[in-house]
Amino acid sequence: MSKEEKKLEIMKTALNLFAKNGFYTTTIADIAKEMGMSVGNMYNYFHSKESLAKELLIYTSKIFGDEIRKINDMNISSKEKIKKIVELYFNMAKEEPELVDYFMRVYLSNKEIFSNGCEGMLCVSAFVTEIMIFFEEGVRKKELKNQDFFAAFGLFMGYIGGLAFLFREGILGKDLDEYIKPVSENIYNALKA
Amino acid sequence: MHSKPKVFWIDAVGCNGCSHSFFNYGEIKELLDKIELLYHPLLPSKEFKVQRSDILIIEGALKTTYFPRLDFNLVDLIFELIKLSKKVIVVGTCSVYGGIFGEGVLFNKKKEGKFFEFKEKMIALPGCPPHPEWIAYVIEMLIENKNILMDKENRPKEIYSYTSHMGCIRNEYFEWKIDVLEFGTKEGCLFYDQGCQGPFTHSSCNRILWNEINSKPRAGTPCFGCTEKEFPKKNLFKTETFMGIPANIPLGVGKRAYLTIAGIAKSLKNERLSKRLINEDN
Amino acid sequence: MKITKKIVTKIEGEATLKLYKKDFLIEFAEIEFWQYRGMEEYLKNRAYMDACVINPRICGICGHSHLIATSKAIENALDIKIGNKAKILREITLGLEIIQNHIKWFYLTLYPSVKEINYFKALEFSKEISKIIALIAGQFPHNSYAIPGGVTCDLTNLEIIKVKNSLSKMFDRYQEIMSVDGKSLDLEELFSDIPKSIGKSLNRFLILGNNLYFKSNGNAEFVKEEDSISLNKNVLYKDKFYEVGPLARNLENDLIKKVYEKYQDSIYTRIFARLYEVNLIFEYLLKIVDEMDINEKNYIKPIKKNGKGIGVIEAPRGSLIHKIEIEDEKIKSYNIIVPTQFNLSNGTKDKLSPAQASLIGEYEQQSDLIFKCFDICAVCVSH
Repeated sequence: MSKEEKKLEIMKTALNLFAKNGFYTTTIADIAKEMGMSVGNMYNYFHSKESLAKELLIYTSKIFGDEIRKINDMNISSKEKIKKIVELYFNMAKEEPELVDYFMRVYLSNKEIFSNGCEGMLCVSAFVTEIMIFFEEGVRKKELKNQDFFAAFGLFMGYIGGLAFLFREGILGKDLDEYIKPVSENIYNALKA
Repeated sequence: MHSKPKVFWIDAVGCNGCSHSFFNYGEIKELLDKIELLYHPLLPSKEFKVQRSDILIIEGALKTTYFPRLDFNLVDLIFELIKLSKKVIVVGTCSVYGGIFGEGVLFNKKKEGKFFEFKEKMIALPGCPPHPEWIAYVIEMLIENKNILMDKENRPKEIYSYTSHMGCIRNEYFEWKIDVLEFGTKEGCLFYDQGCQGPFTHSSCNRILWNEINSKPRAGTPCFGCTEKEFPKKNLFKTETFMGIPANIPLGVGKRAYLTIAGIAKSLKNERLSKRLINEDN
Repeated sequence: MKITKKIVTKIEGEATLKLYKKDFLIEFAEIEFWQYRGMEEYLKNRAYMDACVINPRICGICGHSHLIATSKAIENALDIKIGNKAKILREITLGLEIIQNHIKWFYLTLYPSVKEINYFKALEFSKEISKIIALIAGQFPHNSYAIPGGVTCDLTNLEIIKVKNSLSKMFDRYQEIMSVDGKSLDLEELFSDIPKSIGKSLNRFLILGNNLYFKSNGNAEFVKEEDSISLNKNVLYKDKFYEVGPLARNLENDLIKKVYEKYQDSIYTRIFARLYEVNLIFEYLLKIVDEMDINEKNYIKPIKKNGKGIGVIEAPRGSLIHKIEIEDEKIKSYNIIVPTQFNLSNGTKDKLSPAQASLIGEYEQQSDLIFKCFDICAVCVSH
């Protein structure tokens, strides 16, 4: 196993533990134990929990970014793209709940961890850039209404993030898939030109 | 061109601004000494008549509904003069693209202009107005029979390979994505909100300074892209954005790459540039 | 009666002069401008700020005056008061535009119509003047630094010191052209074979702007345009034609008054006033440059989005009027009245415009010179 592959495995393990036991209570020692590694060996990969957290964020952001980029490159309407993005996000929420959880809960609610080196959009740039491109092209093609970026971003991401949260909490009565259509339509109706 | 080249400067529909810009050329006497000025609308010159010239300079746009001069309507007069000239310098945005007042000689905005067929002997100097040094440069190059490297639109590369952004003293603010909060401040970049077209406008305004001393962005005024075919666009003091993202990005960079680097730069706040440059406290 | 049609060239643009003569003397004259560029139409439906870019392009030699008039009109429409610093800076750049205009007019337009002259000293001089404008405004011609609410620049003391020293240097240099005590070798040389008293006009003067040291003697509300035989419109004040420009606005100056008393409103007085005005502007600018508070804000953001306004200034050739109607930050209508329209209207035999009146009773040979003394801007007229 290469060093990069090992790092990835550590990050996935950490994701699981963060999701299960919470970000603050999980220590580097817990992660090392779960990996069957010594704490000293862990240091070769990550100097601290903070640096692991940051890399994890970049990693998650890149996964989302790469997937949205594929959608951006498709020759389809903004309306269809919205549906694809919602679908992508909900599928992730179901199949890799830890990942979405990390993005939603750990990153957004523990901003102080990321204040040094992950300020602003720094570690989530891959994801945010693709969302920007999606919006920009939608307006350019006159399919979406021209408005403030964050007004649109908040509506889109806050909405689907909220649904994913309710799903994880077990509050939703139906399967998340059943929400793809109405949620996409609501987003489109709110953003369309 | 062994003896003094004969130069004919004709004004079509415009404002004479190209001429007045040219008058600010510091070595205008030395330059005019090298040519025989057949005609110029303002400078003392020989007779205004249809005649052969080595260099024809056309200032101003074409308009068909125009009063006859020398018994020709304007377009026909220009046609006669072009036919009788060896080289044509198409001076100013009006003349190159049409600008505010009409159609250009070489282009009509984005399309081919009435005299596009003569492109081969034309040199385009867009700008509203063009810089005096640019006009002098082309005349001198022609006098000396030197090769002028030109781009696809026949603009000299030594002038228009630059963007007006290059050399702007607000570049540091551009790098760190710090915008001008309001007009009348020495701090901030005018690209994000105030409509500055510097990063995608072909011109060397911040390399060869205006009147040897300044430029619009240095004086807090956005670049309006006056050297470009679509000048003047609408809403010139406001950056066109799509969902808050600039509709036009710096020349030569992809949108994805630009947004990535812009996002990163904005996230890494530059403390020094985030406050007033000069105040009593710092 | 004989009629001759002359094309007047080497002015800003071109015009046709139709002279009606009897016994070699001019009996009546008609002035025709044949261009129309449709600026007012072009401005419609654009953001009002765009006028700050488009209007300077009305004219290559006095476009800055159009910029200042534009901003004043918009400020009037949107109830904006600008700061003192911005006001002083505008006075300086506008004053300098008038100076570069006058010197170019004298050596490029007027002089060569009589005799040869080394005009390069004028170009050298106007180049230096343009440089001071550029130091404040970014460039000349065609800057847009004076915007509704103030100015875009934010000068440091370094620039202000340079402006001040440059003003002093150029004022000093101007003494060779026309001294503060009214001596001008070039002017006397020009008149070596021309009578000084020709070209007398209506002897009726109008000042509408209150910028620089000028004091208005009228109200722009009473200005009306009417159609004429030419493409440009006639301009009347209280139904009468008036002369505008340097002669009109400088009659309070003792030296100019003395010349006026001797030659009335002849071409000599007209030229003298224009050349001497440069000294008065320099003096005024050198005074106000010290009154600036560098810490004052350069710009106040407009709040209102609708309104009707008027901007009136004294431009190089006289009173310039811009009127605007703004609806939801867009231009609903725009109207421009330029000084040359006042001076060169086409009146009838019993109601002559200043330029017409100045030609009557004179020889055709002198018509070019008499005409050019009004410093004609056909480019502005054809807005």
